[in-house]
Amino acid sequence: MQIANKNYFQLFDLPESYDLDTDRLTAQYHKLQLDYHPDKHSSASEKEKMSAQVAASYINDAYETLKSPLRRAAYVLTIKGKDAERVDQSDLSMEVLVEQMELRESLSDLPKDDTALQALEELKSIAQGKIQKKQLKFEKEIESGDLSVAKQTFHELQFLFKLLAEIEEGEELRLGY
Amino acid sequence: MAFLKISEPGESRKAKTRKLAVGIDLGTTNSLITSGGDGEVEVILDEVGEGLLPSVVHYNAEGGSTVGVDAQKEAKRDPKNTISSVKRLLGRSKLEGLEINRFKQHKFDSEYGEDTLPAIITGAGTKDPIQISADILTTLASRVRQRFGSEIDGAVITVPAYFNDAQRQQTKKAAELANLNVLRLINEPTAAALAYGLDSNEEGNVVVYDLGGGTFDVSVLSLRKGVFEVLATGGDTALGGDDIDHAICEWITENGLTEETLNANYSELILYANSIKHQLSEEDCIDLVFKNWSGTLDRGEFAKICEPFIRKTINACRRVLRDSKIALQDIHSVVMVGGSTRSPVIREAVEKYFGRPPLTSIDPDTVVAVGAGIQAEVLVGNNTTENFLLLDVNPLSLGIETMGELVEKIIPRNTTIPVSRAQDFTTFKDGQTVMSIHVLQGERELVSDCRSLAKFNLKGIPQMVAGAAKIRVSFQIDADGLLSVSAEELSTQQKAEIQVKPSFGLSANFIEDILESSHENAESDMETRSLRESQVEAKQLIDSIDFALKSDRELLNEEEKLTLDHAKDRLIELIDSGTSAKIREATEELNRISSEFAARRMDLHIGQALKGEIIDNIDNS
Repeated sequence: MQIANKNYFQLFDLPESYDLDTDRLTAQYHKLQLDYHPDKHSSASEKEKMSAQVAASYINDAYETLKSPLRRAAYVLTIKGKDAERVDQSDLSMEVLVEQMELRESLSDLPKDDTALQALEELKSIAQGKIQKKQLKFEKEIESGDLSVAKQTFHELQFLFKLLAEIEEGEELRLGY
Repeated sequence: MAFLKISEPGESRKAKTRKLAVGIDLGTTNSLITSGGDGEVEVILDEVGEGLLPSVVHYNAEGGSTVGVDAQKEAKRDPKNTISSVKRLLGRSKLEGLEINRFKQHKFDSEYGEDTLPAIITGAGTKDPIQISADILTTLASRVRQRFGSEIDGAVITVPAYFNDAQRQQTKKAAELANLNVLRLINEPTAAALAYGLDSNEEGNVVVYDLGGGTFDVSVLSLRKGVFEVLATGGDTALGGDDIDHAICEWITENGLTEETLNANYSELILYANSIKHQLSEEDCIDLVFKNWSGTLDRGEFAKICEPFIRKTINACRRVLRDSKIALQDIHSVVMVGGSTRSPVIREAVEKYFGRPPLTSIDPDTVVAVGAGIQAEVLVGNNTTENFLLLDVNPLSLGIETMGELVEKIIPRNTTIPVSRAQDFTTFKDGQTVMSIHVLQGERELVSDCRSLAKFNLKGIPQMVAGAAKIRVSFQIDADGLLSVSAEELSTQQKAEIQVKPSFGLSANFIEDILESSHENAESDMETRSLRESQVEAKQLIDSIDFALKSDRELLNEEEKLTLDHAKDRLIELIDSGTSAKIREATEELNRISSEFAARRMDLHIGQALKGEIIDNIDNS
C-alpha cells in the first residue's frame, strides 16, 4: 500500500511542524478513512479487504500519533532523526529534576479524601500552564533546528503530562469513580 | 401531474440482486428486528402489528417453546419454565448465574456442559443462555422471512458497548444457532448515534446515554460530514432498569411485606414493581396494594430508591468524558436511549449533570435496531443513499502477561479499530527456548484481576543469555473487533500466532466493574506492582547466579562461596516475606557480592570464545 510510504504529516497533507491545525487533521483523517476503511469495501475481494484493513490501521495510528500532543512531539523528533525514546543523562538538568520532584511531592502530600479537590484543581492548572509554555518552546526549537535542546524540552513535557495524568487519577480516586 | 413509472431494462434484475439484511437489537427486556428489504430501514412487525418482542422464553413439557408476549403470560403460572433477562447470563459462569437475583426462581444444572455455562433446567430440558437467546433470534428472524418470503443474507446484531469478549462470542454463537450469518456485532450506543445522526443531520459531539433493562452504556461520538467517530465508550454490563425493579421489591419488603409473601410470590412481585416504575413516569404519587400489603410511593421516595443506580451511571459518564478528552461544555447534545430513560427521575439526573435537557424526541426502544439495520445494509453490500462511515473503538484494554503475573497493556481501551500494535519483549532465563504468550483483557495491573482470552507458546527461540532475544508481540483488531495475536523472534523469524477465541468459565465476578475497581485499586495495584517487580528482579538474579555456579563454581574460593550463598539465601527468604524496598536492598547487595564472580566468568568465556573462533578459522581455510 503506497500510503505506508508516507510519513504521518504527508499522509494528512499537513506541514511538518509541531504546531498543528487539529480541525484540519480530523477532517483529513475522516476523508482518508471514507476511502480506505474496510467497511467501504465490503463487496471487494478478500485480498482487497486485507489491504484496506492494513491501510485503515496505519491511518488510525497516524491520526492517534498526531492528535496526542506528546506522541506528536516524539514523532517530530523521530522524523528529524532524533531517538525520542532514549533519555541521555544530559537531557535533564538538575533544575528540571528538582522542579519535578517538588511538584510530585505537593501531589503526594495532599490528603486522600475530597478535601484535596480544590488543591488538585490548582495543581492541575499549574501543570497545564507549564505544559502550554513548554509546547511553545518546543515548537520554536524545532523551527530553528535546535534539536538537542528540543529533545530536552520533550523530556520535560513527558514529565509534565505524566504528572497531569496522575493529578486526574487523583481526582477520580477522591470523587469515587 | 402523474407520470407512469417505467422501469429501465435491468432494473428489476438489479432489485433482485439486492440482498436481504437485518438489524437486531437483542435486549434484556425487549428485542426487535429491522430490515431495509423495502428500501428504507424499518422495524418489522409481527402478525398483530407489534414491533417489540419481550425477551421472554417459555419452555413447555412437550419440549416446545414460546417466545414473547405468550411466554410472558406464563410467567405467573409457570415461573420455573419461563426465562426472562437471559442477556444477563451471557458470558457468565455458573457461579455468577446463581448470584443474579432475577434467576432465583430457576434451577441451574450443575452438571451441564464441558465449560461452566449457567444452564437452566426447564420442562423442555436443560437450556443454556446461548440456546435461549437463539430462540429469541429465531422468532425475530421468522418475522422477516415471512414478510419478504426469502432467506436473510446477513445480520448486524447490537451488543452493549461494554460487553467483554466472552459476552460477544456467545451472542455470535446464539445467532449462528439461529441460522443467521453475522455480518458484525456493533455497539448499541454507536448504532443509536448512527440512526439519530443520519436522521437529524446534526454535527458535533454527541453523548449517547443508554440505560436498558439490564445494561448501561455511555458513548461520546463526534459526528462530522458522514463520519461517526466514537471517541470513548464505557458503562456497566450489569446495571439496568431490572435493578430498579428489584430495589422497589426490597423497599416494599422493608416497608412491611412479610418474608413469606415475598418468597411465595417473587416473580409476581417483580412484575408489580415494574408496573409501579412505569406508573411513576406518569404520576407523582401512587397507592400500592400487593396481596395483604398496602402502602404509597411518591416520586421523591422513588428517586431515593434509584439514587445509587443513577450515581453509578453518572460516574461512568464522567469517566467516559475524561477518556474522550471532550469538555462538558463542548458536548452539543445528549441522546437518551433504552426504555429505562423514560423515567423522569433519570432524565432529571442526566440533565443536571450535563447542564442541558437530553433529547428524548427519538423512540428509545427502536433507535438501536434501526441503526443496526442501516449498518447491515452497508456491510451486506447494498447501495445506500447516505455516504457514511462508523469508526468504533475497542472498549477494554488488551495486553499480555509479563513476569510476576503483571499485565502489560498493548492496546489501551478506546483505541479506534482496526488497529495493529506491536511491542518487543525478551527472555527471562539464560538459554530459554520457549516463551508463553498469555493474552488478557481488562484494566487492572495483575493477571488474576483481568480476563484471560488465550494462551499460546512461541517455540524455537535460539539459546541466548537472558534478555538477549528480541520477541515482537503483535496485536491486531480488525474492523469486526476480532483480535489476533502473533509473536516472532526477530533474529530467527520463528513465528507463532493465534486467533483469539473465548475462554469461558473463568471466575469473573468483577467483569462488570473491571474499570471501577481499577480506579479504586490504583494505589494498592501500584504497591503490588512494585513488590512483584522487585520479586522478579530478585528471582532473575538468583537464577542467573545458580546457572553460573553450575558451570563455574571453581572460579570461587571457599570463603567467596560462603558469602555468596549467604547473601543468596537471605534474598530467597525475603522474596516471600519482605517488602519491595527490603527485597531491592538485598538484591543490590547480592548483585554487588556476585559482580567479581561475573567478571571472572566473563574473562573466562571471552577467552574460550576467542579460542573457538581461531579453530573455526583454521577449519575454513
